[in-house]
Amino acid sequence: CGFALRGPVSFPFKSIYIGLSDGSSLGGELKRQIRANGQTQITAEAKDAEVILDVLSETREKQILSLNSQGRVREYNLLYNFRFRLRDAVGKEYLEPVTVQLKRTITFNEAQVLAKESEEALLYRDMQSDLVQQIMRRLSVVKMDQ
Amino acid sequence: QAQTTAPQSFEEDLVLRQKNNQTKADDKNAPTTVQSERLWGRPERFIHFENDVEVVKGATTMNADKATYRFLEDEVDAEGKVSLQRNGDCYKGDSARIQLDSSSGNVINPVYKLLRNNAQGKAEKIDFIDEERSLIHQGTYSTCDGLDPDWYLRAETLDLDTGLDKGIAGKSVLYFLGTPILATPSLTFPLSGARHSGFLPPVFGASSKGGAEFALPYYFNIAPNRDLTLYPKVISRRGLQLGAEGRYLGETYRGETSLEGLNNDRVTNTNRYALTSVHQQQLLPELALNWNLNYASDDNYPSDFSNSITKTSQRLLLRDINFTYTGSFWNLNLRASNYQVLQDYAAPIARPYDRLPQLQFHAEQHDVKGFDWSADAMLTRFWHPTQVRGDRLVLNPQVSFPMVEPGYFVVPKVSLHATTYQLSNIVPGQDPNFHRVVPTFSVDSGLVFERQSTLLGKEVTQTLEPRLFYVRTPYREQSAFPNFDSGVADFNFAQIFSENRFTGQDRIGDANQITAALVSRYIEMDGEERLKLALGQRFYFNTQRVTLDNVNSPSRSDLLLAASGKVSPTLSADAALQLNQSTHQSVQASYGIRWQPEVKKILNLSYRLQRDTLKQLDISGQWPIANRWYAVGRSNYSLMDKRVVDGLVGFEYKADCWSLRFLAQRFAVNSTNNNSGFSIQLELNGLARLGIGNNPIEALKRNISGYQPISER
Repeated sequence: CGFALRGPVSFPFKSIYIGLSDGSSLGGELKRQIRANGQTQITAEAKDAEVILDVLSETREKQILSLNSQGRVREYNLLYNFRFRLRDAVGKEYLEPVTVQLKRTITFNEAQVLAKESEEALLYRDMQSDLVQQIMRRLSVVKMDQ
Repeated sequence: QAQTTAPQSFEEDLVLRQKNNQTKADDKNAPTTVQSERLWGRPERFIHFENDVEVVKGATTMNADKATYRFLEDEVDAEGKVSLQRNGDCYKGDSARIQLDSSSGNVINPVYKLLRNNAQGKAEKIDFIDEERSLIHQGTYSTCDGLDPDWYLRAETLDLDTGLDKGIAGKSVLYFLGTPILATPSLTFPLSGARHSGFLPPVFGASSKGGAEFALPYYFNIAPNRDLTLYPKVISRRGLQLGAEGRYLGETYRGETSLEGLNNDRVTNTNRYALTSVHQQQLLPELALNWNLNYASDDNYPSDFSNSITKTSQRLLLRDINFTYTGSFWNLNLRASNYQVLQDYAAPIARPYDRLPQLQFHAEQHDVKGFDWSADAMLTRFWHPTQVRGDRLVLNPQVSFPMVEPGYFVVPKVSLHATTYQLSNIVPGQDPNFHRVVPTFSVDSGLVFERQSTLLGKEVTQTLEPRLFYVRTPYREQSAFPNFDSGVADFNFAQIFSENRFTGQDRIGDANQITAALVSRYIEMDGEERLKLALGQRFYFNTQRVTLDNVNSPSRSDLLLAASGKVSPTLSADAALQLNQSTHQSVQASYGIRWQPEVKKILNLSYRLQRDTLKQLDISGQWPIANRWYAVGRSNYSLMDKRVVDGLVGFEYKADCWSLRFLAQRFAVNSTNNNSGFSIQLELNGLARLGIGNNPIEALKRNISGYQPISER
């Protein structure tokens, strides 16, 4: 029905610097995905790269989603906002700042507060994998000749 | 005694100040040019101009019927239809005198209009002290257009300082629709919206528990990166409550602390207080300190004093302080943490364990000859006043070999979970030592197919992503192990692709299972994900024997279904469903629709179900109902209790230079009580938000997802 295995995404640039520290697991996952495409170099220094991925903000937020009849929280929304842009070393922008927002719901119960702390961490990791895919999609359609 | 908006963040404020400073013009050395139809005079003494006189110096332009320039004083005297423009601000009056070099002078019987905030009014006289300051005598001030403004301030003196961006009114009366509504000996307001020291709008209110309330907050803008707000509040039944909130920001640190208290509450005859403090600091390039401390004097503090559900719904107050040392690919974290429980005796809460202290080591590296590895070590002392206490050491090394290609991925992974416990405060005869070593093997794999397609007339890329995840963890007897921090995780798309069905470290579930999922995405040409459909199910090859709190894990292989996305530019929807395959009943469900046909026009509708726990219908919206009138509302209705858990209804009216809102709110604070409140707020653009009750804008933003304040353009 027209589906074909996804081929390598050819990014419109030859080298990129990712503005995330080595210890960042988001950075690690993103770099692996870029490398998997084989054609784009990831540089260790911003000045050596054709384009720079600038992380403008990375925020996490926890919102009350639902309360029970005793006024206690039973569900939270976890929001993960990531804002980035793509520019070159002299500051020319190839991708205007874009925000990607991801959202997960987590149930809550006071009796399990410690368990819920680690469950939150799991959901943030899941959102991170989703985010990496969305960043890849955005990078692959960047127009370099603007 | 008022200021426009609540203080903004330090960063926003800085940007605003920079922007304001750019508009200033320097006209000290600019030449003076004069035009008129007739002129005469005495050389080096004076020149008299008549008919269509125009004097221009730098950013100052003056038009008048007649004018006289005196050389000695470097002054212009003008009369007859005088119109003066300075930096875009406009003054019209009977006569004026301007000293050209210093820009000082005055206008008699002027009407004025300031460029920056559309402020305007009339006066008996305006004195220009210098380029930036002017003093208005017996004048009015308003941001409304026209000769008959809806609101205005009538003041004996008005000191406007565009340099400090501040206006100070002396003895004054505030008129609204022709009626005096507020008299004040002094009032400070900003000319552009940046932050300034001054009184914030007073708050009148009433609550069922405290009686009538009156608060008059004062804001100190100590420095661009430090401020302090004081909240004195008289609560008629209880006494005087004092509160202070300080914020600070430095290069290596930032934080916020608030403290409030009431000495000798007349209802309870006790001292009552609460503290909240958040702080982050980089002590060394590698060493960071964080704390988050919350304390309340008694169980009922939030429900007695807070009018916001975000506070009354919190019955666990975190106290956490930690140090993190970050190495090249590893970090070490030392933490002390516990929760204060605010008990509701009708529905008691089990006290969580304290972690005093917890030492965590984490290391991970990616792509080491194709391998990813990580290692965690965690040593924790769990403390509880009544239950079993213990020291727990967890070691968790993991190695995986990800094979990632654009069209597929396979990630085999092995990990080891080693745990040892040393317990105390145990029942005599109970074993104080437990050990457990559990290996886990898993393979995660997936394919990604793509095709070009169209969705509602738009070209999109559609993906089809089948995924298989296999986990094998052998069974270890752990029923006698304590439970410090474990729980059964929610069943969702993140959980079905994780190795352990429990969160925390006290239970490692035995597993021989495979998870299958299929995801399809519709991606627009700019890379934005438009629609996502997902389907997942777990299949068990074993009967699960590890349990938590002696409750058998249901051997469920529930089906998960999810869809979310933008149906059209104005309509978005999401749905998630967990179906029990044996009973064909939904275990969890949520459906939501958001319709936003234009700005300030939104409807949200959602239904949420957690079987036997929660069944709610939630409707909220902001909708124009007549010219300038908006209705706002939310009803979060519990179908199980047949009761509104959280409800709000209100109306907003937007005029050109002011807006008015009425709001009624009601929400549950504990198992027996509701809190209800009413607020009225009058917002005068450029001057203040005057109100009765709590800040309605905050309540609207929290309750109505997507709400946009009507006073914003």
